[in-house]
Amino acid sequence: MTYQTKQGLRGLLAACAIAVAASMPLKAQAETNYNLALLSDFSGPYADIMPVLAGGREAVFTWWNETRGKELGVTLNYKNYETRYDAAQVASLWPGIKSELNPIAVVGLGGPDVAALSERLPEDKIPMFMATASYGFAWKPDSWIFNPRPTYSHESAGFLNWMREQRGGDGPLKVAILASEASPAYVDMAKGLELYAEEHPEEIDLVEVIYTEVQPTDLTGQMRRVVRARAEALVIQTNTSIVVAAKRGLQANGSSIPIMMSSHNGLPASGGALGGLDQLEGDFEAYGMAIAADEDTPARQFYETLVADHGLKAPWNVVTAMGVSQGLFVVTVIDHAIEANGAEGLTGEMVREALFAGPITTEETHGFLPSLTFTPDAPFPLEGLKVNVGTVKDGKITIEATGVDVPDVQKW
Amino acid sequence: MVYFINDIITGALIGLLYSLVAMGFVVIYRASKVFNFAQGELVIIGGFIVWFTTMQAGLSLWLSIPLSLVLAGLVGYAIERIFLTKLIGESVFSMVMVTVGLLILLRGLVLLVFGPAVRPFPIIFPLKPLFLGDMLIPMNLLMGGIITIVAAVGLSWFFNRTRSGLRMTAVAEDHVVASSMGISVKGSIAFAWVLGAILSTIGAMIFLSGKSLTFLASDIGFAALPVALFAGLESIGGLILAGVIIGIAQSLTTNYLDPLIGGSLGSVVPYIIMLAILLIRPTGLFGWRTIERV
Repeated sequence: MTYQTKQGLRGLLAACAIAVAASMPLKAQAETNYNLALLSDFSGPYADIMPVLAGGREAVFTWWNETRGKELGVTLNYKNYETRYDAAQVASLWPGIKSELNPIAVVGLGGPDVAALSERLPEDKIPMFMATASYGFAWKPDSWIFNPRPTYSHESAGFLNWMREQRGGDGPLKVAILASEASPAYVDMAKGLELYAEEHPEEIDLVEVIYTEVQPTDLTGQMRRVVRARAEALVIQTNTSIVVAAKRGLQANGSSIPIMMSSHNGLPASGGALGGLDQLEGDFEAYGMAIAADEDTPARQFYETLVADHGLKAPWNVVTAMGVSQGLFVVTVIDHAIEANGAEGLTGEMVREALFAGPITTEETHGFLPSLTFTPDAPFPLEGLKVNVGTVKDGKITIEATGVDVPDVQKW
Repeated sequence: MVYFINDIITGALIGLLYSLVAMGFVVIYRASKVFNFAQGELVIIGGFIVWFTTMQAGLSLWLSIPLSLVLAGLVGYAIERIFLTKLIGESVFSMVMVTVGLLILLRGLVLLVFGPAVRPFPIIFPLKPLFLGDMLIPMNLLMGGIITIVAAVGLSWFFNRTRSGLRMTAVAEDHVVASSMGISVKGSIAFAWVLGAILSTIGAMIFLSGKSLTFLASDIGFAALPVALFAGLESIGGLILAGVIIGIAQSLTTNYLDPLIGGSLGSVVPYIIMLAILLIRPTGLFGWRTIERV
């Protein structure tokens, strides 16, 4: 080895040492941690779907930490809190969550979280991000709680308009609603669509609005009213038990009026409760999120990535899609906040501001959600809303329509 | 008019289903003076046993139904032995509080053992309804109505005409006195719980046939409560009349008033009737009036 070579090697080693030393601050930067509080229901009414939904959203946080987070030098830590889908439980847990985690965002589940925290989050300056559609009663400006989807009534109105177009003709679509007074959220879903139908008689003729129990004894009589009113669609956005009872009631009446379901009581859940998807042949699910069908879509591809590389074990279904879309919604907003403010010193307030600063594109959410533009006027995007429609064909869930426009719905 | 009559018939049959579940309340009350708040949970336990024997174990209905009834009886017996035997001779209030605890425990156990998923319940009764001209009668409710009437006649005879039934009534009056007369208090109460669990399982089969099974099904216990209180907690025969009245009132409200008011008054009507009758006659329509000598 010549002198020059030795000197060169020394220089190289020195350069490496400098590079390592220089990378130390970067390593320190990579240790910037932020906490997320995940509100979950593993033992209440949504306990059946919670493990799958939780699996979806947690896999996204893992994916983000291992990819984008690594680039930015940020790790998102998360912890699940058992709420039993109970507003009182959420309210009692909240002070402890805040002091334990000091989260930059809350990842919520449903109505009780909204009821318990809607007054507290603005004071604590921590935003909450939901997975579900929104509610009329939560439609207020300057919210700290955000839904990636509009209200259930927006979604059903979008679906019904699409259905009327598919049917053709000039007359309004005859529609029945089956809801329940067991939860304010269920009533809200019906009231919004009722108002829309009232204001758009040329589009929707609401022939029946029926309220029942969450586990109905028998709906044969009620379904006979729906059949006699010649309804062309039956909207049920409550729970699977009501869908099952309604289906049995329709079958008893020899009718196959198509039922429209939402994501939480959709085709796989209701089909499973009926003993098979074939029972729901020709029925629909519609919501502002990717349909978990067999087709090869960007959302499906991203799901496969999560399964292959990031430990996701949940099956490909609507609940997993809901968890994944919620996770993507959260990490995209945090990503925007880091871009705007830097990785250090991020606060809940900055995360909320980032939500209004620019749109969340459908590419950023891998096609799980349409492009979303939030404003302080509402807890969900008010423009450019879309729903996707899934149905059962030959015993399989298939995508019937994507990017269906959602009409303007007035506040109720 | 045909639809109106149809609604009355359907309502009466739903009311008879409530009567069957309420029979579980009455049987346990008549033997122990304990109001079992966990009656709805016994319906779920029965439902899960039927689901397990048919859908999981794959037994035919002819095998699974009798097996389920036996297993349900054993569950009722076990509940009595584990939780209530030691309270014999203690205040009735203690036993009632145990049933409140049971309500929570059984729900938790169902979640723990069977998980929270919504399950398809086997089709016990034909899905195709009975058509009488323009009238349509759900088969599960029709068969359920017949079973309820037969059960009510049988249990009335048992409690009023047999030595065992009369012994159970004596136990309900006073545990100590009944013991001193050589009546097995433990045996009587255990038998009542076995009967209560079996009736609940039959109720689950009628209620859930062809539908879905979740712990929400326990709500039928609350739906049956007005029937039990309306009839009077000691009267098995009275349950039939109370059930029919409440079922018809609920059906007519649901089908004719609810569309007008845009709500679910039908769900509330049974409780309004219950409160009204309790204001007028606190012992219910056919409940025993007790005379206490001071």
